[in-house]
Formats: sequence, C-alpha cells, structure tokens
Amino acid sequence: MRRTATGLRAWLVQRVTAVYMLLFIVFLLFHFLLAPPDSYEAWHGWMRNSRIAIPASVFFAALLLHAWVGLRDVLMDYVHPLAWRISALALLAFSLTAIAAWVVRILLMGTA
Amino acid sequence: MRLSIFRFNPEKDEKPYMQDYEIAPEQTDRMLLDVLVRLKGRDDSLTFRRSCREGICGSDGMNINGRNGLACITPVKGLKEPVVLRPLPSFPVIRDLVVDMTRFFKQYHSIKPYLINNDPPPERERLQSPEDRAKLDGLYECILCACCTSQCPSSWWNPDKFVGPAGLLQAYRFIIDSRDQATQERLDDLNDAYRLFRCRTIMNCTEVCPRHLSPSRAIEKIRLMMVKDSS
Ligand code: SF4
Ligand code: SF4
Ligand code: FES
Repeated sequence: MRRTATGLRAWLVQRVTAVYMLLFIVFLLFHFLLAPPDSYEAWHGWMRNSRIAIPASVFFAALLLHAWVGLRDVLMDYVHPLAWRISALALLAFSLTAIAAWVVRILLMGTA
Repeated sequence: MRLSIFRFNPEKDEKPYMQDYEIAPEQTDRMLLDVLVRLKGRDDSLTFRRSCREGICGSDGMNINGRNGLACITPVKGLKEPVVLRPLPSFPVIRDLVVDMTRFFKQYHSIKPYLINNDPPPERERLQSPEDRAKLDGLYECILCACCTSQCPSSWWNPDKFVGPAGLLQAYRFIIDSRDQATQERLDDLNDAYRLFRCRTIMNCTEVCPRHLSPSRAIEKIRLMMVKDSS
C-alpha cells in the first residue's frame, strides 16, 4: 500500500493535477481578458460564486498537491541524511498547509 | 592529434590529474580506440578497458569530450581537439579510465534479468510468435556498457536506490517477454518511490546510448503498464 502511495500514485497525481491546472489557467486567462473585474470586490464576488468557487478550490488543492509531490521529489534527490530530510519534509508540509489556510481565508472570508 | 586524458593511479597519485598527449595521426586510426591503443604502446601506464573493438562487448565506455560513448565506435574524424577523455561520470574510478561497475551490475541483477517460467520446460524450446518476438527488438541489444546510467542525473543522486536506465531497459525486456510469467511481480517490484520513479524523463540515456536504444521509452512503457494494471 505504502509503496503505491509513493510510486505510481505520486506520479499520477503529478500528471492529473498538471492537466487540470493548465485547463483552469487557460479558462482564467480568457475570463480576465474578456471580462476583467474592475475592483477587488467585483473579483472577490466572482470568486465566491459557487460556479467558480468549487473549480477554484479544486485548482488550489491541485496546486498544493502538485507542489508537494514535486518538492518532495527534489528533496528525495538531493537531501540524503535522514534527519535533514525529515526536517525539510516537515517544513515543506507546514508551509503548504499554511498556504492552504491562507487560500481558504482569502476565498471564504475575503480578508488578505 | 591532441588528447587530454584523465589519469589516476591510486597506488602512486594523491589525486587525479589530466595528462596531455600529442600523437601524429596514422592511416589506420579510424576510431578513437585505435589512437588509444597506439598511445598505450608509447605509455604503457595508461589504463583502459577494451575487448571486441567493434561496439559489442561494452567494455570501453568512457566520457569523450563530455559525452559518454564507446571509444571503439567513435570516429576520430570530427572529434574536437584536444579530445578530453574521462572515466564514466559518477562511477568510482579504479585507475585512469577504468571504473568500478559493481553497483551498476548490482542494480542490473536486482531486476532479475532472466526468464521466470515455472512450466516444465518443453522438449526443445519455449516458442514465441514472430509478433511477440518483435517486442524484444530495441531491448535485447543492450550491451551493458553503462554509458546511459553514468550519464543519468537521477542515477547520480540515488545510484544505490534508483535502478537506472540500463537496468530498467532490461526490466522491460522481461516484462514484455511473452514467455515470462513474473510480469506482475516485476511491476510491483518497481513500483516504489525510488526504483523506477526517480526517473525525471531527462532522456540523457536515450541521447547517449551508443547502440541507439531508448531506455527512456522503455521506462515510459513500464509506467503505462502500471497505470493499466492499477485501474
Ligand atoms: S542501454 Fe545503451 S547505453 Fe545503456 S547500457 Fe545498454 S547499450 Fe549501453
Ligand atoms: S530519462 Fe530517466 S533514466 Fe533516462 S537519463 Fe533521464 S532520468 Fe535517467
Ligand atoms: S571494445 Fe567492445 S564495445 Fe568497444
């Protein structure tokens, strides 16, 4: 079980999230080119609209997962002493969780 | 012709150094190995491996002007001078251009490079359709020269845990063999964070293989088989 979690599954997560993010970014680009919001409030209202909020939450989840797998890979390549590796992974997990909390705060509560 | 060759004799030298050679080209110098053999006639302390001198034994893999290759099939013509020769990158050096291949072969053996088939052997041979046999083309030709693995960044960082392109090419050679019955075990064995999935598809392996094989494509196919297998 653990073996699949770190081998094939991590690789699949990386591919699937990449495709989703690409599609979502293209969509965002088109939206902001065709109908640019004229204020923070307008943008925020748009983001909170549930038709956008759900795919946007998925986007941020994908972004964080993608970053986790990618940076975990970098650490596995370069950081070999176990103590350093564990500290670095813990720091990474902590940072990503903090970013996730911040995203939730902006999107749901509207305060930066 | 000017050459600059990595020299290191652990019994005498404190650390490696590059030695310059100048040798007048001769009619018979077609491949780099021809020049090396003549150089050794002049300086018999110069050490390198070679055997078949036709690209089939895999013993004279070395780094030629920054790129791994076999000296015996590298034409002298077109080589930028001075020709810089170094041992295979990241492999422990035994002496001059001779490297220790122990770890490389350990990874190779770890994929069980032999047919696993528990059926009683038929009287003559295990048959295979021409189509199934064709699936082994581009795989069985590997001569284990290690040019690919020695040029693979993922193998540099995790040589003890990542099987490396040469070993993975052979893993696929047995996974895809219709006569082999251990396909599932072979796939499971490679499905962890290191053995196969350290590969970043950098493709140095395919770029550098003197036999024009494509380990990176074999790795991709193993991944796809794993995806199919898991769904
Ligand atoms: S795949 Fe090519 S480069 Fe790698 S060991 Fe085999 S023959 Fe050499
Ligand atoms: S494709 Fe994979 S195995 Fe080949 S050089 Fe790149 S990381 Fe190494
Ligand atoms: S001497 Fe055999 S491969 Fe070059």
